[in-house]
Amino acid sequence: MFHQPRNLDEALAIRANLGADVTPIAGGTDIVVALNRQAKPPRNFLDLTHVADGSTVRRDNGKWFLAGGATFTQLGKLPVKALAQAAMTVGGPAIRNAGTIAGNLGTASPAGDGCVALLAMDAQVELSHATRGKRSLPIHEYFTGFRKTALLADELITAVRFDADWKTAWYKIGKRGSINISIVCCAIGMSPRGEIRIAFGCVAPIVMRTRQAEAIIAEDGLTDAAIEAAAQSAMNEVAPIDDHRSSANYRRAMCGVLTRRLLRDLRQGN
Amino acid sequence: MTQKNDSTWRLQCTVNGDPIDADVAQDETLLFFLRDRLGLTGTKGSCLEGECGSCTVIVDDKPINSCLVLCPQMQNRNIETIEGLAHGDKLHVLQEKFLASGAAQCGYCTPGLIMSAKALLEANPNPSEQEFFEGMEGNICRCTGYAAICEAIKSAAREWK
Repeated sequence: MFHQPRNLDEALAIRANLGADVTPIAGGTDIVVALNRQAKPPRNFLDLTHVADGSTVRRDNGKWFLAGGATFTQLGKLPVKALAQAAMTVGGPAIRNAGTIAGNLGTASPAGDGCVALLAMDAQVELSHATRGKRSLPIHEYFTGFRKTALLADELITAVRFDADWKTAWYKIGKRGSINISIVCCAIGMSPRGEIRIAFGCVAPIVMRTRQAEAIIAEDGLTDAAIEAAAQSAMNEVAPIDDHRSSANYRRAMCGVLTRRLLRDLRQGN
Repeated sequence: MTQKNDSTWRLQCTVNGDPIDADVAQDETLLFFLRDRLGLTGTKGSCLEGECGSCTVIVDDKPINSCLVLCPQMQNRNIETIEGLAHGDKLHVLQEKFLASGAAQCGYCTPGLIMSAKALLEANPNPSEQEFFEGMEGNICRCTGYAAICEAIKSAAREWK
């Protein structure tokens, strides 16, 4: 059965009712790729592309609010450097018009570029249920394992929020620049209080932060020596693998390079 | 109600301005609906994963990969394909410029390129180099090396109305 709710309440009711028997779908950039590769089709779809206000992006009280259906095209226009640049590198315009932030979070791939950018800003992920209501999780608690998350089978990812005053930097290494899956991507965020978050994609089973590297900067500030120590630490904290896109050694080395580069960028106020 | 039974959907939308009213399977993609059901074989399928752009069509003024859209999602949407561009023998300016610049070799990527270019120029008839790149980066050509394609689109842009 194909469900196409017109508003969020209807969507949540269907999800609460069917749970794991229904597959939420928006841009289809993960789900339909799998179907095209002969994956077993879900029995029930929950199409979220016709939900009223499902893709709202707005700023209120110093926070960005992204409804789950906000597309990468929309995110690419935000004055939030890491997230906008991540959004512009997930694929070409057709992919950016289709893919959504909730989809990126829902798939929870270790290569989820949008997830890495959000991880570097201590974003909050809003999970909603028809009768239990909404709960908001810090994003680092949302990812629980390889393509596993805290989302329950009867909930939907309805929004993401983060403070608008984080300064961020982003770099993605991919074989074809944009329109390709990352080999390594890195987002670094600096809060208005000067706290640093260093996040990586493609170097562990989940998108991850290198907390020891963060702690070095928290202790010593953005000095040359601290940046160098943080870069060394980041290389030791990540757990990359060899695959058809790259070697573990290259990925690990790039984690050092990107940590150094993006911390210097942030120090210079770029 | 548009749901007919367990897995069939009654799709109502427009394709190149023509109203469509058809029963579709819930997991049928727009690409194969256009090609196999409507006979609109100008839209090509290749990678079926959103990497190559050869299946690009325009939905409500935005380029999308028709290989990644399920038909029921197109309810009440307006779809434009390469077949909608020419009027009889009168080619669209993008088609004319692709011909004039020799922008096609095997031609398989051409419909997708032209639909992406049309969506780009409709939204922004005078794109900067960066905007041009961002608008066209989702389409791959394995023959031409892109120079003639860029020339064709840029010369169409100069005559864009």
